[in-house]
Amino acid sequence: MSDHLSLADLSAIADGELSPEQLTAAGEHLAGCPSCTASALSQTLLKSAISRAGIRYPLPAQMSKQILARTSQEAARQESERASTGPALAPWSGQLGWAVAATLLLVAGTTLVLERSAQHIQIASTILSAEAGALVTEVSDQHIATLASGSAPQVESTDRHTVKPWFQGKLPFSFNLPEGLPADTKLDGADLTYVRKQPVAQLLYSIGKHRVSVFVTPRRGAVPAGGMVAENAGFHVRTLDTDDLELIAVSDVDPARLSGLLNAIGQTQTRSLQDSPPGTTK
Amino acid sequence: MTLLPWKQSVRATAPERSSFEELALPLFPSLYNIAHWLSKNPVDAEDLVQETCLKALRGFSSFEPGTNFKAWIFRILRNTYLTSRTGLAAARTVAFEDKFEERGDPGAPLEREAMIDRTTPELHLLRLSDRAALQSAMEGLPRPLLEVILLCDVEEMKYREIAATLEIPIGTVMSRIARARAALRSALEADPTKRKEFRA
Repeated sequence: MSDHLSLADLSAIADGELSPEQLTAAGEHLAGCPSCTASALSQTLLKSAISRAGIRYPLPAQMSKQILARTSQEAARQESERASTGPALAPWSGQLGWAVAATLLLVAGTTLVLERSAQHIQIASTILSAEAGALVTEVSDQHIATLASGSAPQVESTDRHTVKPWFQGKLPFSFNLPEGLPADTKLDGADLTYVRKQPVAQLLYSIGKHRVSVFVTPRRGAVPAGGMVAENAGFHVRTLDTDDLELIAVSDVDPARLSGLLNAIGQTQTRSLQDSPPGTTK
Repeated sequence: MTLLPWKQSVRATAPERSSFEELALPLFPSLYNIAHWLSKNPVDAEDLVQETCLKALRGFSSFEPGTNFKAWIFRILRNTYLTSRTGLAAARTVAFEDKFEERGDPGAPLEREAMIDRTTPELHLLRLSDRAALQSAMEGLPRPLLEVILLCDVEEMKYREIAATLEIPIGTVMSRIARARAALRSALEADPTKRKEFRA
Protein backbone atom coordinates (compact mmCIF):
# COMPACT_ATOMS: atom_id res chain seq x y z
CA MET A 1 0.00 0.00 0.00
CA SER A 2 1.25 3.46 -0.86
CA ASP A 3 2.36 5.81 1.90
CA HIS A 4 0.58 8.62 0.18
CA LEU A 5 -3.08 9.27 -0.31
CA SER A 6 -4.52 7.57 -3.36
CA LEU A 7 -5.80 9.41 -6.41
CA ALA A 8 -9.33 8.50 -5.43
CA ASP A 9 -8.80 9.85 -1.91
CA LEU A 10 -7.41 13.11 -3.26
CA SER A 11 -10.37 13.44 -5.60
CA ALA A 12 -12.77 12.60 -2.80
CA ILE A 13 -11.23 15.34 -0.64
CA ALA A 14 -11.79 17.89 -3.41
CA ASP A 15 -15.31 16.60 -3.98
CA GLY A 16 -16.24 16.53 -0.30
CA GLU A 17 -17.03 12.84 -0.52
CA LEU A 18 -15.00 11.52 2.41
CA SER A 19 -16.77 10.30 5.52
CA PRO A 20 -15.91 12.13 8.77
CA GLU A 21 -13.61 9.29 9.79
CA GLN A 22 -11.86 9.23 6.43
CA LEU A 23 -11.53 12.99 6.51
CA THR A 24 -9.90 12.89 9.93
CA ALA A 25 -7.41 10.27 8.78
CA ALA A 26 -6.68 12.18 5.59
CA GLY A 27 -6.21 15.40 7.57
CA GLU A 28 -3.67 13.77 9.79
CA HIS A 29 -1.75 12.55 6.77
CA LEU A 30 -1.87 15.90 5.00
CA ALA A 31 -0.53 17.65 8.11
CA GLY A 32 2.74 15.79 7.70
CA CYS A 33 2.94 15.33 3.92
CA PRO A 34 3.66 18.39 1.77
CA SER A 35 3.45 16.32 -1.43
CA CYS A 36 -0.09 15.13 -0.77
CA THR A 37 -1.08 18.57 0.47
CA ALA A 38 0.12 20.09 -2.79
CA SER A 39 -1.72 17.42 -4.76
CA ALA A 40 -4.92 17.96 -2.77
CA LEU A 41 -4.69 21.68 -3.39
CA SER A 42 -4.04 21.02 -7.03
CA GLN A 43 -7.12 18.82 -7.23
CA THR A 44 -9.25 21.51 -5.68
CA LEU A 45 -7.96 24.14 -8.08
CA LEU A 46 -8.50 21.83 -11.02
CA LYS A 47 -12.04 21.06 -9.92
CA SER A 48 -12.80 24.74 -9.63
CA ALA A 49 -11.32 25.46 -13.05
CA ILE A 50 -13.29 22.62 -14.65
CA SER A 51 -16.52 23.85 -13.11
CA ARG A 52 -15.97 27.23 -14.77
CA ALA A 53 -14.70 25.92 -18.09
CA GLY A 54 -17.41 23.27 -18.27
CA ILE A 55 -20.22 25.81 -18.45
CA ARG A 56 -19.48 26.50 -22.07
CA TYR A 57 -22.63 26.26 -24.13
CA PRO A 58 -25.51 28.56 -23.18
CA LEU A 59 -29.02 27.48 -24.01
CA PRO A 60 -30.03 29.09 -27.33
CA ALA A 61 -32.69 31.75 -27.11
CA GLN A 62 -36.19 30.43 -27.75
CA MET A 63 -35.15 26.86 -27.13
CA SER A 64 -36.97 26.62 -23.82
CA LYS A 65 -40.14 27.81 -25.52
CA GLN A 66 -39.67 25.35 -28.34
CA ILE A 67 -39.22 22.47 -25.93
CA LEU A 68 -42.24 23.51 -23.89
CA ALA A 69 -44.31 23.84 -27.05
CA ARG A 70 -43.32 20.35 -28.14
CA THR A 71 -43.95 18.82 -24.74
CA SER A 72 -47.28 20.64 -24.67
CA GLN A 73 -48.22 19.11 -28.01
CA GLU A 74 -47.05 15.71 -26.83
CA ALA A 75 -49.11 16.00 -23.67
CA ALA A 76 -52.15 16.99 -25.71
CA ARG A 77 -51.59 14.01 -27.97
CA GLN A 78 -51.36 11.70 -24.96
CA GLU A 79 -54.51 13.15 -23.47
CA SER A 80 -56.24 12.74 -26.80
CA GLU A 81 -55.19 9.10 -27.00
CA ARG A 82 -56.25 8.48 -23.44
CA ALA A 83 -59.58 10.08 -24.12
CA SER A 84 -60.15 8.05 -27.28
CA THR A 85 -59.13 4.71 -25.78
CA GLY A 86 -60.63 5.24 -22.34
CA PRO A 87 -59.29 3.84 -19.08
CA ALA A 88 -58.22 0.23 -18.96
CA LEU A 89 -60.56 -1.95 -16.94
CA ALA A 90 -59.69 -5.04 -15.04
CA PRO A 91 -61.16 -8.22 -16.58
CA TRP A 92 -63.36 -8.87 -13.57
CA SER A 93 -64.89 -5.43 -13.85
CA GLY A 94 -66.51 -6.06 -17.22
CA GLN A 95 -70.10 -6.48 -16.01
CA LEU A 96 -69.77 -3.71 -13.49
CA GLY A 97 -68.34 -1.51 -16.23
CA TRP A 98 -71.33 -2.15 -18.48
CA ALA A 99 -73.68 -1.35 -15.65
CA VAL A 100 -71.88 1.88 -14.91
CA ALA A 101 -71.78 2.76 -18.59
CA ALA A 102 -75.49 2.11 -18.95
CA THR A 103 -76.23 4.25 -15.92
CA LEU A 104 -74.03 7.03 -17.22
CA LEU A 105 -75.68 6.79 -20.61
CA LEU A 106 -79.09 7.02 -19.01
CA VAL A 107 -78.05 9.98 -16.89
CA ALA A 108 -76.39 11.69 -19.84
CA GLY A 109 -79.42 11.08 -22.04
CA THR A 110 -81.78 12.41 -19.40
CA THR A 111 -79.58 15.41 -18.88
CA LEU A 112 -79.46 16.04 -22.59
CA VAL A 113 -83.22 16.00 -22.96
CA LEU A 114 -83.75 18.24 -19.95
CA GLU A 115 -81.17 20.74 -20.96
CA ARG A 116 -82.28 20.88 -24.58
CA SER A 117 -85.75 21.68 -23.45
CA ALA A 118 -84.35 24.48 -21.34
CA GLN A 119 -82.22 25.63 -24.29
CA HIS A 120 -79.19 26.35 -22.17
CA ILE A 121 -76.21 26.79 -24.41
CA GLN A 122 -73.70 25.87 -21.76
CA ILE A 123 -75.00 22.36 -21.67
CA ALA A 124 -73.45 21.72 -25.03
CA SER A 125 -70.05 21.58 -23.40
CA THR A 126 -71.17 19.16 -20.70
CA ILE A 127 -72.41 16.60 -23.19
CA LEU A 128 -69.40 16.73 -25.41
CA SER A 129 -68.16 13.38 -26.44
CA ALA A 130 -64.73 12.40 -25.23
CA GLU A 131 -63.42 13.07 -28.69
CA ALA A 132 -64.82 16.56 -28.75
CA GLY A 133 -63.36 17.22 -25.31
CA ALA A 134 -59.96 16.07 -26.50
CA LEU A 135 -60.32 18.30 -29.53
CA VAL A 136 -60.97 21.33 -27.33
CA THR A 137 -57.87 20.56 -25.28
CA GLU A 138 -55.75 19.99 -28.35
CA VAL A 139 -56.69 23.19 -30.17
CA SER A 140 -56.36 25.19 -26.96
CA ASP A 141 -52.86 23.82 -26.44
CA GLN A 142 -51.99 24.59 -30.05
CA HIS A 143 -53.20 28.15 -29.61
CA ILE A 144 -51.22 28.54 -26.37
CA ALA A 145 -48.13 27.13 -28.03
CA THR A 146 -48.52 29.63 -30.87
CA LEU A 147 -48.82 32.51 -28.44
CA ALA A 148 -45.89 31.28 -26.37
CA SER A 149 -43.55 30.72 -29.31
CA GLY A 150 -43.60 34.37 -30.33
CA SER A 151 -42.33 33.35 -33.74
CA ALA A 152 -43.69 34.65 -37.03
CA PRO A 153 -46.36 32.62 -38.83
CA GLN A 154 -45.15 30.24 -41.51
CA VAL A 155 -46.96 32.42 -44.02
CA GLU A 156 -47.09 35.97 -42.74
CA SER A 157 -49.49 38.16 -44.69
CA THR A 158 -52.68 40.12 -44.35
CA ASP A 159 -53.56 39.26 -47.92
CA ARG A 160 -55.90 36.32 -48.32
CA HIS A 161 -54.60 35.81 -51.87
CA THR A 162 -51.19 35.11 -50.34
CA VAL A 163 -52.30 32.99 -47.41
CA LYS A 164 -54.70 30.66 -49.18
CA PRO A 165 -52.40 29.66 -52.09
CA TRP A 166 -49.63 28.91 -49.59
CA PHE A 167 -51.54 25.81 -48.54
CA GLN A 168 -51.73 24.40 -52.07
CA GLY A 169 -50.11 20.98 -52.06
CA LYS A 170 -49.83 21.03 -48.29
CA LEU A 171 -53.39 20.08 -47.40
CA PRO A 172 -55.68 17.42 -48.89
CA PHE A 173 -58.56 19.91 -49.02
CA SER A 174 -59.19 23.53 -49.90
CA PHE A 175 -61.00 26.42 -48.28
CA ASN A 176 -61.83 30.06 -48.89
CA LEU A 177 -60.96 33.15 -46.92
CA PRO A 178 -63.35 36.06 -46.57
CA GLU A 179 -62.61 39.33 -48.31
CA GLY A 180 -64.42 41.44 -45.77
CA LEU A 181 -63.75 40.91 -42.08
CA PRO A 182 -65.59 42.19 -39.02
CA ALA A 183 -64.48 45.53 -37.63
CA ASP A 184 -61.04 45.71 -36.02
CA THR A 185 -60.21 42.25 -37.33
CA LYS A 186 -57.24 41.46 -39.50
CA LEU A 187 -55.53 38.42 -40.93
CA ASP A 188 -51.97 37.95 -39.58
CA GLY A 189 -51.02 34.83 -41.50
CA ALA A 190 -51.27 31.10 -41.06
CA ASP A 191 -49.45 27.95 -40.05
CA LEU A 192 -49.62 24.41 -41.26
CA THR A 193 -50.16 22.35 -38.14
CA TYR A 194 -51.64 19.07 -36.98
CA VAL A 195 -54.88 18.37 -35.19
CA ARG A 196 -56.06 14.84 -34.51
CA LYS A 197 -52.88 13.72 -36.26
CA GLN A 198 -54.09 15.28 -39.52
CA PRO A 199 -52.60 18.27 -41.32
CA VAL A 200 -54.81 21.34 -40.93
CA ALA A 201 -54.65 25.07 -41.55
CA GLN A 202 -54.27 27.30 -38.52
CA LEU A 203 -55.40 30.76 -39.61
CA LEU A 204 -54.10 33.51 -37.38
CA TYR A 205 -56.18 36.63 -36.86
CA SER A 206 -56.12 39.60 -34.55
CA ILE A 207 -59.28 41.14 -33.14
CA GLY A 208 -58.06 44.31 -31.52
CA LYS A 209 -55.15 43.13 -29.39
CA HIS A 210 -56.53 39.63 -29.03
CA ARG A 211 -55.04 36.80 -31.01
CA VAL A 212 -57.31 34.27 -32.63
CA SER A 213 -56.58 30.86 -34.10
CA VAL A 214 -59.04 29.37 -36.55
CA PHE A 215 -58.33 25.76 -37.39
CA VAL A 216 -59.70 24.56 -40.72
CA THR A 217 -60.06 20.80 -40.85
CA PRO A 218 -62.00 18.30 -42.92
CA ARG A 219 -65.33 17.65 -41.29
CA ARG A 220 -65.43 14.53 -39.15
CA GLY A 221 -68.53 15.00 -37.10
CA ALA A 222 -66.57 14.90 -33.88
CA VAL A 223 -68.51 17.71 -32.36
CA PRO A 224 -72.23 18.26 -32.03
CA ALA A 225 -73.77 19.10 -35.38
CA GLY A 226 -74.27 22.78 -35.81
CA GLY A 227 -71.39 23.87 -33.65
CA MET A 228 -69.89 23.62 -30.25
CA VAL A 229 -69.45 26.13 -27.48
CA ALA A 230 -66.76 25.36 -24.96
CA GLU A 231 -64.38 27.03 -22.56
CA ASN A 232 -60.93 25.72 -21.80
CA ALA A 233 -58.04 27.22 -19.88
CA GLY A 234 -59.56 30.66 -20.11
CA PHE A 235 -60.16 30.46 -23.84
CA HIS A 236 -63.41 30.42 -25.74
CA VAL A 237 -63.69 27.64 -28.28
CA ARG A 238 -66.31 27.87 -31.00
CA THR A 239 -66.87 25.57 -33.93
CA LEU A 240 -68.80 25.85 -37.13
CA ASP A 241 -69.54 23.09 -39.60
CA THR A 242 -69.91 23.51 -43.31
CA ASP A 243 -70.77 20.60 -45.57
CA ASP A 244 -67.12 19.64 -45.94
CA LEU A 245 -65.19 21.54 -43.35
CA GLU A 246 -65.07 22.02 -39.65
CA LEU A 247 -63.91 25.44 -38.45
CA ILE A 248 -62.63 25.70 -34.89
CA ALA A 249 -61.89 29.12 -33.43
CA VAL A 250 -59.93 29.67 -30.22
CA SER A 251 -59.33 32.98 -28.48
CA ASP A 252 -59.84 34.94 -25.31
CA VAL A 253 -61.65 37.68 -27.23
CA ASP A 254 -65.31 38.42 -26.59
CA PRO A 255 -67.26 35.30 -27.65
CA ALA A 256 -69.64 37.30 -29.84
CA ARG A 257 -66.77 38.77 -31.82
CA LEU A 258 -65.17 35.33 -32.09
CA SER A 259 -68.40 33.93 -33.49
CA GLY A 260 -68.62 36.91 -35.87
CA LEU A 261 -65.24 36.06 -37.35
CA LEU A 262 -66.12 32.38 -37.52
CA ASN A 263 -69.34 33.17 -39.35
CA ALA A 264 -67.49 35.40 -41.81
CA ILE A 265 -65.09 32.58 -42.64
CA GLY A 266 -67.87 30.03 -42.79
CA GLN A 267 -69.94 32.08 -45.18
CA THR A 268 -67.17 32.16 -47.76
CA GLN A 269 -67.03 28.42 -48.13
CA THR A 270 -68.54 27.10 -51.31
CA ARG A 271 -71.35 25.23 -49.73
CA SER A 272 -74.03 26.56 -47.51
CA LEU A 273 -73.68 26.63 -43.81
CA GLN A 274 -75.67 24.47 -41.58
CA ASP A 275 -78.83 25.86 -40.16
CA SER A 276 -77.60 26.72 -36.73
CA PRO A 277 -74.85 29.27 -36.32
CA PRO A 278 -72.37 28.80 -33.51
CA GLY A 279 -73.18 30.14 -30.15
CA THR A 280 -76.89 29.60 -30.65
CA THR A 281 -77.02 25.89 -30.74
CA LYS A 282 -78.40 23.24 -28.60
CA MET B 1 -55.98 38.47 -19.98
CA THR B 2 -52.31 37.73 -19.52
CA LEU B 3 -50.57 34.55 -20.49
CA LEU B 4 -49.77 33.54 -16.95
CA PRO B 5 -53.31 32.86 -15.77
CA TRP B 6 -53.89 30.77 -18.88
CA LYS B 7 -50.89 28.67 -18.13
CA GLN B 8 -52.00 28.29 -14.55
CA SER B 9 -55.39 27.24 -15.73
CA VAL B 10 -53.89 24.69 -18.06
CA ARG B 11 -51.76 23.36 -15.27
CA ALA B 12 -54.79 22.87 -13.12
CA THR B 13 -56.17 20.50 -15.71
CA ALA B 14 -52.91 18.75 -16.43
CA PRO B 15 -51.05 18.21 -13.17
CA GLU B 16 -48.73 15.62 -14.60
CA ARG B 17 -47.42 17.86 -17.37
CA SER B 18 -47.33 20.79 -15.00
CA SER B 19 -45.10 19.06 -12.49
CA PHE B 20 -42.93 17.77 -15.31
CA GLU B 21 -42.40 21.27 -16.64
CA GLU B 22 -41.69 22.62 -13.19
CA LEU B 23 -39.02 19.99 -12.65
CA ALA B 24 -37.53 20.01 -16.14
CA LEU B 25 -37.51 23.69 -17.03
CA PRO B 26 -34.69 24.71 -14.64
CA LEU B 27 -32.55 21.89 -16.03
CA PHE B 28 -32.77 22.91 -19.71
CA PRO B 29 -29.50 24.93 -19.61
CA SER B 30 -27.62 22.07 -17.96
CA LEU B 31 -29.09 19.48 -20.29
CA TYR B 32 -28.12 21.55 -23.31
CA ASN B 33 -24.61 22.20 -22.02
CA ILE B 34 -23.96 18.51 -21.39
CA ALA B 35 -25.61 17.55 -24.68
CA HIS B 36 -23.36 19.96 -26.56
CA TRP B 37 -20.26 18.63 -24.83
CA LEU B 38 -21.21 15.06 -25.75
CA SER B 39 -22.44 15.62 -29.28
CA LYS B 40 -19.89 18.34 -30.07
CA ASN B 41 -22.26 20.36 -32.24
CA PRO B 42 -25.24 22.64 -31.55
CA VAL B 43 -27.73 21.05 -33.92
CA ASP B 44 -27.30 17.56 -32.51
CA ALA B 45 -27.36 19.03 -29.00
CA GLU B 46 -30.73 20.69 -29.63
CA ASP B 47 -32.15 17.49 -31.09
CA LEU B 48 -30.78 15.55 -28.16
CA VAL B 49 -32.38 17.80 -25.57
CA GLN B 50 -35.71 17.88 -27.42
CA GLU B 51 -35.74 14.10 -27.70
CA THR B 52 -34.73 13.73 -24.07
CA CYS B 53 -37.57 15.94 -22.89
CA LEU B 54 -40.14 14.14 -25.00
CA LYS B 55 -38.94 10.77 -23.74
CA ALA B 56 -38.95 12.04 -20.18
CA LEU B 57 -42.51 13.35 -20.56
CA ARG B 58 -43.71 10.08 -22.05
CA GLY B 59 -42.09 8.15 -19.22
CA PHE B 60 -42.88 10.64 -16.48
CA SER B 61 -45.49 8.36 -14.97
CA SER B 62 -42.66 5.95 -14.15
CA PHE B 63 -40.74 8.65 -12.30
CA GLU B 64 -41.14 8.27 -8.58
CA PRO B 65 -41.92 11.62 -6.93
CA GLY B 66 -39.41 12.54 -4.27
CA THR B 67 -36.55 10.74 -5.97
CA ASN B 68 -33.77 12.43 -7.89
CA PHE B 69 -35.34 13.95 -11.01
CA LYS B 70 -32.04 15.43 -12.15
CA ALA B 71 -30.30 12.06 -12.13
CA TRP B 72 -33.35 10.54 -13.84
CA ILE B 73 -33.50 12.98 -16.74
CA PHE B 74 -29.72 13.08 -17.17
CA ARG B 75 -29.79 9.29 -17.47
CA ILE B 76 -32.37 9.65 -20.25
CA LEU B 77 -30.17 12.26 -21.93
CA ARG B 78 -27.15 10.02 -21.77
CA ASN B 79 -28.97 6.93 -23.04
CA THR B 80 -30.52 8.99 -25.82
CA TYR B 81 -27.08 10.22 -26.80
CA LEU B 82 -25.61 6.71 -26.77
CA THR B 83 -28.27 5.52 -29.20
CA SER B 84 -28.15 8.64 -31.37
CA ARG B 85 -26.33 8.87 -34.67
CA THR B 86 -23.49 10.87 -33.16
CA GLY B 87 -23.34 8.65 -30.12
CA LEU B 88 -23.14 5.49 -32.19
CA ALA B 89 -20.53 7.07 -34.45
CA ALA B 90 -18.47 8.06 -31.42
CA ALA B 91 -18.78 4.57 -29.99
CA ARG B 92 -17.05 3.19 -33.06
CA THR B 93 -13.96 5.27 -32.39
CA VAL B 94 -13.36 4.63 -28.73
CA ALA B 95 -10.50 2.18 -28.92
CA PHE B 96 -8.55 4.73 -26.96
CA GLU B 97 -10.97 4.33 -24.12
CA ASP B 98 -9.66 0.86 -23.53
CA LYS B 99 -6.74 2.50 -21.81
CA PHE B 100 -9.20 3.94 -19.36
CA GLU B 101 -10.95 0.73 -18.47
CA GLU B 102 -11.15 0.37 -14.75
CA ARG B 103 -8.10 -1.43 -13.47
CA GLY B 104 -8.92 -2.20 -9.89
CA ASP B 105 -7.44 0.13 -7.32
CA PRO B 106 -7.77 3.69 -8.58
CA GLY B 107 -5.10 4.76 -6.15
CA ALA B 108 -2.34 2.65 -7.63
CA PRO B 109 1.04 4.35 -7.24
CA LEU B 110 1.77 4.35 -10.95
CA GLU B 111 -1.37 6.35 -11.70
CA ARG B 112 -0.69 8.69 -8.86
CA GLU B 113 2.49 9.73 -10.62
CA ALA B 114 0.33 11.64 -13.03
CA MET B 115 -0.96 13.70 -10.18
CA ILE B 116 2.35 14.73 -8.72
CA ASP B 117 2.78 18.42 -9.22
CA ARG B 118 6.13 19.06 -10.85
CA THR B 119 5.38 22.66 -11.61
CA THR B 120 5.38 25.66 -9.37
CA PRO B 121 1.99 26.60 -7.91
CA GLU B 122 2.15 29.88 -9.83
CA LEU B 123 2.68 28.14 -13.14
CA HIS B 124 -0.05 25.65 -12.31
CA LEU B 125 -2.51 28.42 -11.53
CA LEU B 126 -1.57 30.16 -14.75
CA ARG B 127 -2.35 27.03 -16.76
CA LEU B 128 -5.64 26.47 -15.01
CA SER B 129 -6.64 30.03 -15.75
CA ASP B 130 -6.26 29.27 -19.46
CA ARG B 131 -9.91 28.44 -19.95
CA ALA B 132 -9.54 27.67 -23.63
CA ALA B 133 -6.70 25.23 -22.97
CA LEU B 134 -8.73 23.46 -20.33
CA GLN B 135 -11.76 23.26 -22.60
CA SER B 136 -9.58 21.90 -25.36
CA ALA B 137 -8.23 19.29 -22.97
CA MET B 138 -11.78 18.39 -21.92
CA GLU B 139 -12.79 17.99 -25.56
CA GLY B 140 -10.08 15.39 -25.86
CA LEU B 141 -11.30 13.29 -22.98
CA PRO B 142 -12.89 9.95 -23.87
CA ARG B 143 -16.64 10.09 -23.39
CA PRO B 144 -16.74 7.95 -20.19
CA LEU B 145 -14.29 10.33 -18.52
CA LEU B 146 -15.84 13.50 -19.91
CA GLU B 147 -19.35 12.68 -18.76
CA VAL B 148 -18.24 11.79 -15.26
CA ILE B 149 -16.20 14.96 -14.84
CA LEU B 150 -19.03 17.12 -16.19
CA LEU B 151 -21.54 15.60 -13.81
CA CYS B 152 -19.15 15.91 -10.87
CA ASP B 153 -17.55 19.29 -11.37
CA VAL B 154 -20.04 21.19 -13.52
CA GLU B 155 -23.32 19.73 -12.31
CA GLU B 156 -21.95 19.24 -8.78
CA MET B 157 -23.56 15.85 -8.46
CA LYS B 158 -22.56 13.56 -5.61
CA TYR B 159 -20.84 10.28 -6.43
CA ARG B 160 -23.96 8.26 -5.69
CA GLU B 161 -26.01 10.49 -7.99
CA ILE B 162 -23.45 10.07 -10.76
CA ALA B 163 -23.48 6.33 -10.20
CA ALA B 164 -27.26 6.32 -10.55
CA THR B 165 -27.15 8.50 -13.65
CA LEU B 166 -24.51 6.48 -15.43
CA GLU B 167 -25.66 3.16 -13.99
CA ILE B 168 -22.19 2.22 -12.81
CA PRO B 169 -20.79 1.38 -9.34
CA ILE B 170 -19.56 4.20 -7.11
CA GLY B 171 -16.07 2.71 -7.22
CA THR B 172 -16.07 3.14 -10.98
CA VAL B 173 -17.22 6.73 -10.58
CA MET B 174 -14.31 7.43 -8.23
CA SER B 175 -11.88 5.74 -10.56
CA ARG B 176 -13.06 7.64 -13.62
CA ILE B 177 -13.00 10.99 -11.85
CA ALA B 178 -9.45 10.41 -10.71
CA ARG B 179 -8.40 9.34 -14.20
CA ALA B 180 -10.18 12.24 -15.85
CA ARG B 181 -8.41 14.77 -13.66
CA ALA B 182 -5.08 13.06 -14.18
CA ALA B 183 -5.65 13.13 -17.92
CA LEU B 184 -6.59 16.80 -17.88
CA ARG B 185 -3.59 17.62 -15.82
CA SER B 186 -1.32 15.75 -18.18
CA ALA B 187 -2.87 17.50 -21.14
CA LEU B 188 -2.39 20.91 -19.57
CA GLU B 189 1.22 20.16 -18.73
CA ALA B 190 1.93 18.85 -22.21
CA ASP B 191 3.39 20.96 -24.95
CA PRO B 192 0.46 22.93 -26.38
CA THR B 193 1.37 21.82 -29.88
CA LYS B 194 1.04 18.21 -28.81
CA ARG B 195 -2.11 18.67 -26.79
CA LYS B 196 -4.31 17.37 -29.55
CA GLU B 197 -2.57 14.01 -29.41
CA PHE B 198 -4.73 13.30 -26.41
CA ARG B 199 -7.66 13.00 -28.72
CA ALA B 200 -6.17 9.80 -30.14
